[in-house]
Amino acid sequence: MTDRPKARPRWHIAVFLAPALLVYTVIMLVPLMQTLLLALENVRDGERVFVGLDNFRMLFGDPRFSEGFWNALRNNVYFFVLHMLIQNPIGIALAALLSVPRLRGVAIYRTALFLPTILSFVIVGFLWKLLLSPLWGVAPNLLGAVGLKSLFAPWLGQEAYALTTVSLVSIWQFVGIPMMLIYAALITIPNEVIEAAECDGITGFKQFFKIKLPLILPTIGLVGVLTFVGNFNAFDLIYAMQGALAGPNFSTDILGTYLYRIFFGFQLQAGDRYMGAAVATAMFVIILLGVCFYLFVIQRRMRRYQM
Amino acid sequence: MHSLKLTRIVKTFGQVEVLKGVDLEVETGEFVVFVGPSGCGKSTLMRIIAGLETQTSGTVEIGGRNVDATVPARRGIAMVFQSYALYPHLTVAGNMTLALKEDGVPKAEREARVEKAAGLLQLSPLLKRRPAELSGGQRQRVAIGRAIVREPTLFLFDEPLSNLDAALRVATRLEIAKLHRTLGATMIYVTHDQIEAMTLADRIVVLNGGTVQQVGRPIDLYNRPDNLFVAGFIGSPKMNFLTKRFAEEAGAATLGVRPEHLKVDPAGAWAGTVRHAEHLGSDTYLYVVLEDGQEVTVRIPEETPIAVDDAVRLSPLPGRLHRFGADGLALRAA
Repeated sequence: MTDRPKARPRWHIAVFLAPALLVYTVIMLVPLMQTLLLALENVRDGERVFVGLDNFRMLFGDPRFSEGFWNALRNNVYFFVLHMLIQNPIGIALAALLSVPRLRGVAIYRTALFLPTILSFVIVGFLWKLLLSPLWGVAPNLLGAVGLKSLFAPWLGQEAYALTTVSLVSIWQFVGIPMMLIYAALITIPNEVIEAAECDGITGFKQFFKIKLPLILPTIGLVGVLTFVGNFNAFDLIYAMQGALAGPNFSTDILGTYLYRIFFGFQLQAGDRYMGAAVATAMFVIILLGVCFYLFVIQRRMRRYQM
Repeated sequence: MHSLKLTRIVKTFGQVEVLKGVDLEVETGEFVVFVGPSGCGKSTLMRIIAGLETQTSGTVEIGGRNVDATVPARRGIAMVFQSYALYPHLTVAGNMTLALKEDGVPKAEREARVEKAAGLLQLSPLLKRRPAELSGGQRQRVAIGRAIVREPTLFLFDEPLSNLDAALRVATRLEIAKLHRTLGATMIYVTHDQIEAMTLADRIVVLNGGTVQQVGRPIDLYNRPDNLFVAGFIGSPKMNFLTKRFAEEAGAATLGVRPEHLKVDPAGAWAGTVRHAEHLGSDTYLYVVLEDGQEVTVRIPEETPIAVDDAVRLSPLPGRLHRFGADGLALRAA
């Protein structure tokens, strides 16, 4: 080997990075920065002026905004908790069942369970709205057929049940995602490890909890953070099922629908881009904090095992 | 008492018959090696013994007990896998005790057994590590340790050395032989490597195409192979097989002679030309083309000046010729 020449400036790195950086800047960084800046401005006496954190003071303190905001945040947390408690455990359980060796018809189950995820939210929302309709839905009749008609209520129309109902529909739609991710993690566990467990007498549920679950924990963490981001950005299904007012009486209002009404306005409410930007910034910060908590607190404590 | 008794084990996967009726008895304390080329069914046979695979027909008895309907964990076996198959999330100690906890062995007893096994395998300083922090050889020892602590009736080794490098393989081979002497346990060992089989086994079971070709002590397989397959499989370099004139003169369809049983002899009956010579230092392998075009390998246990293209005459050592009939079976002198 000859002596290396002195390190020259490696321009090619910058050249190759430039296109991606440019696209990312134009479609991600600039709009994000503009939104953040917009959140610090407002209109005073017909003039657009810098107001510092006034918009946030209003959002968190002025009842005209804060009532709706805290309500949406509360609902959103509930929405997220239901997904974590119902969607992800069901997803894990389905994945565990799918990975049972020599299960017949795996491909059919997998496709069927994943199908709702690829359906449009409009279809899912409208479908469930029809199914659950007290007037022409099949739900009352189906319950009636098994003698449980007394249990039926117009769930989507009652403040006490509407958010739970919408959450369950969302869970039904998206359960395929944790199922697929965890299924993919489960099938990477080497066969011989499972056979060693069989020889050691670790079978069935015990095998799942003592061998498989610890090995897929990193994936479960990932599913958790994806659920968090997805839930706090959710909007479409609620909009399709309950409209932008997220009724009844805002009981299904989450941050996405709240942002929509503030930013674009709805019916008698006028749109306010400055306050809308403040809501968007608040959502951005909430999600950022959540993701950071996962990255810096949870993921660091979690071991990834070489298999 | 028999530690293991197999009766007419047949295994089919769909149309393919992998095992075509295997019978075998293994005495307590014996070290038995299943050897054969890949696809001969040796691993399937071991998995049937372990209970990881169900036989299509036939019975398995372990320690005098029929275990056909018994799950692997209750068969009194412990298996060492080719890929070690350690639990990646548990420490070495955790790997070794998981099965014992499952069996409800008390803590003091568990610790004593782990300590004993760790001492035997030089694992004591590694007990708190996880598999990812161990070398291949160490992982293999942990896998063996995990088997030892269970104190099984029968140890099963599934090609345990094939993931190790050559030097480590020899060292681990010696360890396993030592372990067998120390524990006095019954061991079954699967390998495709006939050197491992020859060096470790009390008895070798040679399998090919789903049938047992021959069972016997290593030296008996070497000296008295029952058929062409065993003759060719055991011994390195491979036994020379001669047909046509050489075989006819001996009254056989095929005449077998091992390379180490041929010697270069000016008065020898077989004339030929050296096509290639391999100098290994301790040995020299000569590849000699005989007059009628058949090729034989000659192993000379020393350096030799014989070079390529030299004409040589060979003579087989007396009593070291193997005669095989047209059906491939050995013809033994009456």
